[in-house]
Amino acid sequence: MSRVLEYSSLESSAKWSKLPPPPGFSVQPSASKSSGKKPIAATKTKDSFDGIKEKRAWDFATSPAKQLPMQAFMLYMSGGGVQIFSMGIVFMLLMTPFKNIFAMNEAFAQFAPSSSKDPKATSTLIVQKLLYVVCNLLTLGVGLWKCRSMGLLPTGSGDWLAFETRGPAPEIALY
Amino acid sequence: MRFLPLSLLVHALGCWAIHESDVGVVDWYKSLIGVPLAAPQPTTPKFTLVEGKDVILTATESNILASLNVDDGSIRWRVAYDPEDRITGFYQNGDALVTLSGPGGAISRSIDLKTGQIIFEQRLHSNSEATIIQPHVAFDPSSQDIYTLSNGYIVTRLDQKTGTPAWSWSGQDQSSLTTYTHLLATPDTIFAIGVSTSFASYTLHITSLSASTGEVLASSELPSSIHSPAVDLFAFAKEAPVVAWLEQGKVKSLALTPNLKDKKAQVSSSGPFEELVDVGLPGVLVGKAGQESTVLSFDGSKFTSEKVLGEHDVAVKYAGSSVNGKRYVAKSEGPIIEVTGLDSDESAILFPYDADDTLSHYSIHTSSVGVPRVLVVTTSGAVQLFVNGELKWTREEGLTTSLLAEFVELPERISAEGEATKDEPFAHRLQRHAVLAQDFPQYLKSFVRRFVTGSYASATSSAVASTDGALSRDAFGFRQMIVTVTLLGKVYGIDSSNGNVLWSQLLGTGILPFKVFSLKTVSDGVDPEVVIIAVRQLPEGHETVVFHLNALTGENLAGPSVFRGSIAKAFLLDQSSKFVILVDETLKVHYYPNNGETRTAFKKVHTTLSFPMHLIKEKEHSLAGYQFAVGEGEQVVATPAWSLPLSPGEEVQRILPPSARGPVASVGKVLGNRTTLYKYLNPRLFTALTVTSTKDLCGLYLFDSAKGTVVYQVRIPADNGACDVKTALIENWLVYHYYESEVSSGNVQGTKGYRVVSVELYEGRGIDDKIGSSDMTSYANASTAVFTFEDSFTFPYALTALAPTNTKFGISSKDLIVATKNHKVQSFPRRLLDPRRPRRKPTSQEAEEGLFQYDPIIYDDPKRVISHSYEVANVRQLVTAPALLESTSLVFAFGLDMFVSRVAPSGTFDVLSESFNKPQLVLTITGLVVAIMFTRPMVQRKRLREKWYM
Repeated sequence: MSRVLEYSSLESSAKWSKLPPPPGFSVQPSASKSSGKKPIAATKTKDSFDGIKEKRAWDFATSPAKQLPMQAFMLYMSGGGVQIFSMGIVFMLLMTPFKNIFAMNEAFAQFAPSSSKDPKATSTLIVQKLLYVVCNLLTLGVGLWKCRSMGLLPTGSGDWLAFETRGPAPEIALY
Repeated sequence: MRFLPLSLLVHALGCWAIHESDVGVVDWYKSLIGVPLAAPQPTTPKFTLVEGKDVILTATESNILASLNVDDGSIRWRVAYDPEDRITGFYQNGDALVTLSGPGGAISRSIDLKTGQIIFEQRLHSNSEATIIQPHVAFDPSSQDIYTLSNGYIVTRLDQKTGTPAWSWSGQDQSSLTTYTHLLATPDTIFAIGVSTSFASYTLHITSLSASTGEVLASSELPSSIHSPAVDLFAFAKEAPVVAWLEQGKVKSLALTPNLKDKKAQVSSSGPFEELVDVGLPGVLVGKAGQESTVLSFDGSKFTSEKVLGEHDVAVKYAGSSVNGKRYVAKSEGPIIEVTGLDSDESAILFPYDADDTLSHYSIHTSSVGVPRVLVVTTSGAVQLFVNGELKWTREEGLTTSLLAEFVELPERISAEGEATKDEPFAHRLQRHAVLAQDFPQYLKSFVRRFVTGSYASATSSAVASTDGALSRDAFGFRQMIVTVTLLGKVYGIDSSNGNVLWSQLLGTGILPFKVFSLKTVSDGVDPEVVIIAVRQLPEGHETVVFHLNALTGENLAGPSVFRGSIAKAFLLDQSSKFVILVDETLKVHYYPNNGETRTAFKKVHTTLSFPMHLIKEKEHSLAGYQFAVGEGEQVVATPAWSLPLSPGEEVQRILPPSARGPVASVGKVLGNRTTLYKYLNPRLFTALTVTSTKDLCGLYLFDSAKGTVVYQVRIPADNGACDVKTALIENWLVYHYYESEVSSGNVQGTKGYRVVSVELYEGRGIDDKIGSSDMTSYANASTAVFTFEDSFTFPYALTALAPTNTKFGISSKDLIVATKNHKVQSFPRRLLDPRRPRRKPTSQEAEEGLFQYDPIIYDDPKRVISHSYEVANVRQLVTAPALLESTSLVFAFGLDMFVSRVAPSGTFDVLSESFNKPQLVLTITGLVVAIMFTRPMVQRKRLREKWYM
């Protein structure tokens, strides 16, 4: 029994899976020996890989949340002042969630199950993607909290005072 | 920690102070003495010789005793007397000047003639028992001791060095019928000469005292009848002590002896005279009769006619002088002074003087070489010295009576290029450009120099006048025109950069200035124009005169426009068009300029206008608000809209408009936690100061002039029935200063002393409550929703004036500029007077706002004295004006002296610091450019090589 490494089957969408075998090579050299076992082995491999991929997708979806303790430590170390380091970290915290979310479909494409027609569609791995979005929003939240604690969020009425305008008085006192 | 650049700015404030190098650069100071007094005779200007130099001694209306150099009119020294301590006369005694001042001559001082330092001061009687009788001084001919006659009946002998009284003799008590007015001294006898009241006239009364002990030697009533002892009685010592008086047109005289036995008065044969004039020469009087005046001199026994001065008009003034025993008498006749020598046969010297207005009085002095010098004081307050008919110098002492002042911006400098016309031929244009191009090398050179060295106009240098002499502003607008109007009816245009009087214009006599407005500014594209509203007193009543002047030249732009009757209020309406609204005493409305345009503009807005005034009806004071209505015949009148009666006995002292009229930079105050306190910015708020003398209380009201609602009210204890509350309302900040004396109820909270109270008004009910008070109608219910923060501080000084700084956009903080009674102009930062200062250590949020712990004492910080060592005396008013730089405000203090300086309450944040190294920056950039030029080909070569050998 010879073992066959069928990489191509991992990539269901791989375009070369449908190519004819080169001259002198048969598609299934052991087909005559164990014709009954083959489809079972193939399905099994596929399923196990899909399982692994799904697991990986879950891992990937929660990865931003796993970084949070480290980021929180970095924020703590960078201090409350408005300096180049703290600002750099805050910018990173604010930018990465958006970057991640926009590149989400690309990032999840590798974990798409072999059965999916379009691995880059939003609908593939939708649960994991939702979790991923939530985890990224957590990061964003940490970034915003830091901004707030540094006083950079325009939350109070005082932040909008400069834009307030008043018209001329309806009655004029002479002096 | 939160990001607030303002807090950094505020902290930088603490170290601001005027540098010694800025003195005389950013500020100027003009020391004045006031208009010299003419009457009574002991106060008239006198010439004397001090250390070989001729000086003028004078006492002035501003209660200053001063010594001027005859050569250039500069002040040698001056002594400022307190306002309640009027100078009644000064008498020269060798190297000292003895003055009597106060009611009835209550205080005697001896002043060093060389330095102006007080040698001694001696009180002769208490002010409470004083009368207003003119005191007199005589000197002992041998010991130079001083004899004073004060209060009309007290004669005291004072030691000339120490002022210790040797003896004092009190004539009769005050209830007696005799008052003494003159004192004559001989080595052993003192004669006190006075009058006793009898039916219809006065009788001469003389008492002789022993010079050494003060004992009465004799006292005698002389048969005489003097009509008015203040002008008809004279006493002088010429060989013997002599008393002279005018009795029924005849001059009578009597030489006095210690025992007063001789009571037979000598009658002069000349006369009769209507009036006798003392010209300051012993033994010489000028008699006026009809249109003729005669010089009379005492020949040892009686007065004889010496010279007839000829005809004169009503306004004739006399003066006398003597030099080397030669006496001269002068008579003024129009613009000519005629000097006549009495001891020589020289004919009268006609002496023309060319003062720019009418003569008030003059003093004459003949130098030892016989050159007559005349010190002329004009009715507008100019002091001029003429030598040989030629003007030597002028001192504009009228400026000490300044009532109104207004800063006027100067136009920008216009380069004297040929103006391009619209249809200019090509050749002409080419020629014009060629002419202009010849300045190009010069321009290029100066451009390169300016670019490299950074020698721009500096904000800390003096604002220099442009070289071509044209009146133009400097780069930062520090050079402005100060237009001041004086009580004596003269307008001055003063350069705010150096204090020079650029123009002056006489408005006329009997003019009382009321208000000054700047009708047109440089932003209107024309020369700035000012309008002065004044009241002229006429025998038949008052009339209101409006003068319209060009503020750059002082020339009249329109003949004065006049209406009958006095004026009640005048306002400048600055809406679509600028014009002046005048409300006369019958509440009729007049306009200036009075044309159709103004009338329609006024009709358009008149229903929204209001003004407050105070009303007195049957001795009951009330505050009232007026609005405008069209009455009969299209005549617009002011009608009362509301009135607010005050409590019985309460009188309105003043109604004051807000002190700052500039734009409001921010409608709220942001707190440390990002919430906002919205400022109460009702633009119709006025301050009224009242006094209730019966209850010893002062009142302060902040009220809305359209509706009459009192927004804030406070009662302040009066100081012995007098209220001297100084106040300013700046945006939503009210600050007032008063003297806290002991409260009559005996419940004394705290100590006696000066207090300053700072009140901030915020709209709504609390934090973040926004009602928009600045554009809300007065008639809305919420318009008076206001809450306050207030704090009181003890203040180190008595104040004479107070004003906030004023900047162009109102962004810089508004410091308080005060003029103190000890002759200083000082600034107090706004931060110090913040009523929200916490009573404990400030939290980080409070610290971020710039608040620091409350301290009831405001310490005197000498670093903040902007007048540093100048003696800016008796400041009546402070006027502040914005410069073109937002950070800087100009301050003008006037009263007796004039002082102008610049202050930057938030630091000069809008100019590069003086230490900015422009050459270094230019060098660095040039170095970098050169480096790039060298390395660029090198890099290119390297890249190319890399491509080949990769």
